[in-house]
Order: sequence, then C-alpha cells, then structure tokens
Amino acid sequence: MNRVLVDLLASLRLYFRNRTTLFWSIAFPCILIILFGAIFSYSTTSYDLYVQNMDVENGQATPVSMLLIEALNVTRAFSIKPVEASVNATQYAIDNKLSALLVIPEGFQNETLAANFTHGVVSSQLTLIYDQSSTTGLTTLSIVRGVVNEFDLQFSSRPHYIVTQPQTIAPGRFSFIDFFVPGVVGIGAMTLSIFGAVEINTRYRENGILHKIATTPLTRIEWIVSKTIFRILMSFFSMGIIIIVGVLVFGVKVMVDPVSALMVAACSMLFSGIGMILSRFVRDADAADSAANAVTFPMMVLSGSFFPLEMMPPFIRSIATVLPLTYVNNGLRDAMIYGNQLSAAYDTALIVALGVVVLIVGSFITKWEED
Amino acid sequence: MNVPAIRVESLVKRYGSLAAVDNISFTVQKGEIFAFLGPNGAGKTTTVEILECLRKATSGHAYVLGFDVGKDGREIKKRIGVLPQDFNSFDLLTVKETIEYYAAMFGAKVDAVRLVRLVDLMDKKDAYFKNLSGGLKQRLGVAVALVNDPEVLFLDEPTAGLDPNARHEVWNVIRGLKQQGKTVFLTTHYMEEAEVLADVVIIIHRGKIVAEGTPEELIHKYGKRNFLVLKKIDRSSVPVVEGMGLEVGYDEVKGEIQVHLNQHSGISEILQALAVKNIGFGELELKHSSLEDVFLNLTGEKLSVEVEAE
Repeated sequence: MNRVLVDLLASLRLYFRNRTTLFWSIAFPCILIILFGAIFSYSTTSYDLYVQNMDVENGQATPVSMLLIEALNVTRAFSIKPVEASVNATQYAIDNKLSALLVIPEGFQNETLAANFTHGVVSSQLTLIYDQSSTTGLTTLSIVRGVVNEFDLQFSSRPHYIVTQPQTIAPGRFSFIDFFVPGVVGIGAMTLSIFGAVEINTRYRENGILHKIATTPLTRIEWIVSKTIFRILMSFFSMGIIIIVGVLVFGVKVMVDPVSALMVAACSMLFSGIGMILSRFVRDADAADSAANAVTFPMMVLSGSFFPLEMMPPFIRSIATVLPLTYVNNGLRDAMIYGNQLSAAYDTALIVALGVVVLIVGSFITKWEED
Repeated sequence: MNVPAIRVESLVKRYGSLAAVDNISFTVQKGEIFAFLGPNGAGKTTTVEILECLRKATSGHAYVLGFDVGKDGREIKKRIGVLPQDFNSFDLLTVKETIEYYAAMFGAKVDAVRLVRLVDLMDKKDAYFKNLSGGLKQRLGVAVALVNDPEVLFLDEPTAGLDPNARHEVWNVIRGLKQQGKTVFLTTHYMEEAEVLADVVIIIHRGKIVAEGTPEELIHKYGKRNFLVLKKIDRSSVPVVEGMGLEVGYDEVKGEIQVHLNQHSGISEILQALAVKNIGFGELELKHSSLEDVFLNLTGEKLSVEVEAE
C-alpha cells in the first residue's frame, strides 16, 4: 500500500510540475465550455413538436383546436406528432426525453370563444412542456408563442386572449450551459483517463521506465491501482475546474453529489481500462495516441456531449445507445441537473460495472514481462 | 555450502526458429565483477533480462542467489539492483526524489544523500532528471540500482553512448561497488570495459558462449600475442620478415607492416634483418593483444568500432 501511495504522490508531483500538461488539462475543458456554450446559447433549429389535444367533442377534435394545430403545421417549423390524451403529459415528455410537448386543454375551444366574446376578460390557456437542456426546447417555445399570437390576432383581432404557459421539464431555472457542463465533465474524465493510460503504457515502455519499474518489487497490480486512483483524482480536478469556470463565466447551476462523483470515477476507470487495452495492441506511442483519438472523438460527437441526441438522425441515435459516454452523459445530467437520482444511479451502476470489467481486462492484458 | 551469486544451466531462449540464447551455462561467484561480452544482438540483454525475471526462458534453469528465476521473482527482485540499458526515469523528479522513489518501491529506508555522494552527484541532487547529461543519468542509474543495498547488481551496457570521460567516471563507481563486496554482472560490447573491470569474462556470440576466463587467460589463449608495427616502410620488407618465419601483414594505404611476434624472433632480430637489406622505416610501435583481438580470432568479426573511434 505504501508503494501505491508513493507512486501516486510521484504521479501527482509530475503532473503538477509539467506546466504544459497542467495548462492544457485546465484549458481544454474551459475552451470547450466557453466555445460550445456560447455557440449553443444562440443556436436555433426546428424539431418535432408533440401535441396532446384534449379538446375533444363527440370523439372528434374541436374545430378551433384543429385550426391551431393547422396553424402550427403550416409554419413548417415543426413536424407535429400526436400524443394520446390519456397519458400524463409531463411524465410522457420526461420518459421519452422530448424537447417540447404542447398540451391543448379540454374546453380550449369554449374558452377561446368566450375570450373573444368577453374581449379578453376570460382567456384560454395552452401549456408547452419543454426541456431547457435542449436548444430546441427554447426555440420551440418561441415559435409556438409566435404562432399562437398570430392565431390569436386572426381569430379575435386582438392579442393575448390565448396564453401559452411554459412548463419546464427540469426543476428550477436552468440555461443551456447548465446542461452542457455535465457533458464536458464526462469528456474531461474520458480524455484524461484514456490518454493518461495510453501515455503511461506506451511512452514509459518505449523510454524504458516501465522496464526499470518492473525490476523492483512493485507489482503490476499496485502500479495499475496507483495510476487508476491518480486518473480518478485528476478527473475530479478537471470536474472542479469545469464547474468553477461554468459558475464564474456562465453562472451555471449544477449539483455535485455522491452519484455524480461516483459516475466520474467510474468513467475514469472505464476509459483507463480502454486505454490499457489499446496500448496493449497498438504498442507504438504515437499510433496508440491516434487510436485513442479515434475512440474519443466520435464518442464526443455521437454520445450527446456537445449536441443533443434528438438533433441526430435515428441511426446515429441507435449508435449512441451502445456508446458508454452516452450513459455517462445521461447519468451526469440526471444527477447534476435534473436531480433524478434514481435514473442517475441506474446509469452509474451500468458504468461502474462496465468500468470494473474493462479495467480488469486491461489489467490482465497489460504486461511488464516480455515474451 | 557457498551458493554462487548466479548459476545458469543450459539456458535457451527462442523467438520462433531464432535462438537468441542457445544453450548457455555459466556460474558467477559472489564478489566478482563478471563481464558478459559480445556485440549488439549477441544475446546479452536477453540473458540478463531472464536473470532479472523480466523474460521467461524457453528451457534450461537459472538461479540468482539460489532462487529460481522462473519461480522466485519477488525474492530475487528484493535482492538485486538493476541498471537497464539506457537508464531512463521520470523527467520532472529530481535526483534525490528519484532515489527516494525507487527506495520506497523496495520498502527501503535509504540515505539518499549518501548515494548521491557515492555517485558524485551532490551538486546535481536537486536537478530534474531531464536536465542531466547522459553520463550523469547513468550515474544516477547506478545509485538507483543500489537503493536496496543489493547483493547482486546487473549493469546492462552501463557506459553505452557515453563520452570517454563519463565512461571513466562510471567505471570508478563500478570499482567502488566491488570494494563494497557486491557481485556485479556487467553486460557490455566494449572490450576495454571488460578488460579494465572484470574478474571473469564470458564472450557470447550469436547466443552461444565462445570463451570464458579471466581477461588475461583469454588474451593468452586466444590473442595473437604482441605485434610490431613499422610505419612508412617499403613493401619489400614483407618477404624479408616472412623469411624469418613470422606472420606479417602490409597496409598499402598507411604504408606499414604489422608483424606478429613469437617466442623465437624478437624485435632486435627483425630490425637487424631489415638493416641488412637496407630497408628503412619511419616509426616503430609495439602493440599488445586485447579482448578485441580475442573476439576477432574467435568469431572472425570485430566486436566494437566505437571505442577505437574514441
């Protein structure tokens, strides 16, 4: 155990003495947050709009509600997707990770006609349930309000008889950047761990340090344990930097709890193991670095770290379901943003299990002795 | 019973059809400086890595301090010190920190300053490893190999790539180790190194041991004894010397002859014979056989070019 501690302290000392490494490990997540955060804060696009029409008479949607849906449809901003009137709209939106769901309430037609008749003394109300973590949620809210106002004007010649009440899926008031932070935390833990493992197992092998270490009583397992703990600590360090920058620059509101910390540790273990496996088969240091890039870069893009998965075509969404970073992102967002600890715990348990298995495989195939 | 420091029996290491180490046996007694001499690729490093428990032998047996290298790796590692070829360490640890790090790996309490002083690195004890010259790195490597006060030291090409001054500094450190009673297993392709340092030399070539003994024994047995070099001399001198029953070579480019001396014809007889024929020369030089000649005679190949170039 003392050997593990000594090696861990040496690793920390080397890390903090290497100013280039230190600079980039701080700068990289900061650049990601500032750059992508700024981009996504202003991006616009159009997506699916789910509509639950509860204004039904004699089994048929009322004419006014149909007119409203048609008004939304003709904008071509949305692909309208009907939702059964019997489901709980908010739960449905959460369960299906929808960006926006418009609820047309029962009696909408009557209230709209009454509003017109009473010149706005009575108003009618629509509810738009949306996900602020998605850029599409905010955009959808904006477009729906515009269409409803236009519909209001055409129908009554006066605005604001019909009110669109926004209802967010996540608790509290979050901006998009709040939701982006967990993605960067996941990327930080992934890149630190996979590249760290590749570096140790290829460069140290090439320059003979592993050879020398192997002549001491330090066991391979002690070495791997020490390096894994080191990369977990560095992932926490990166997480802290990301959250501090997020708070200072964008005023993010995220929660750090044991589940999110466990997820970061599990993510670090998983990608340390993947790095060890890569460096076993790709023994040249530069080639192994490229292999690690080949693993991490597509994963960053395809697992919803930068771009909401609902923006992706269906085949990419199906790819995302087999990428571990997807579950890291989902788990961290559930824990840090939504406060959905149960769902976060599920994803975390998955990554812990996968991390342990991959780390064991990586440890097993990492060799000091030559053939 | 006095257990030898190292005992190797019929050791074989194969890579496919290539035998990197081909059925070698030898014994190293405690307190010896033992040199394993051979060109690059002869099988030296493979053998030493088997003894350090870093490689597995294909067949045969090897024991370090009585422990089997195939079974008792942990026990052996506690008792040996290793200076790998081209010793490298963590760039941003200082000399003192590097020694302390490796000492902790052995669970050894070490006086780092004493070791730093032993390898004459006191003025560099707070310098980062990356800022040390090649010679200083090798000296630090020797200090690191001593952190656990080992009984046997494996020094793999300890002076490869070093300039002559740095080489002599490392040699001094190795001599100091012998004085401390350590057994030193030295692998080198520098014949001069083996000649100067070793008590016993084994010459290995293409995985096989071709000779074993003290440097003096090997030179006496396999060297061509002393030879006389006469410079700026005419080719007509060759038949004169050959007529005395001596082996002689003529270098057209340098314009010199090399005469291998034997017990029957001395230098004075040769010079007299040349004077009789009125053949003059510029300079005279007497050379002694070395392990280089031994290796050349045994294998038909040159052992080292670098030392001669220096």
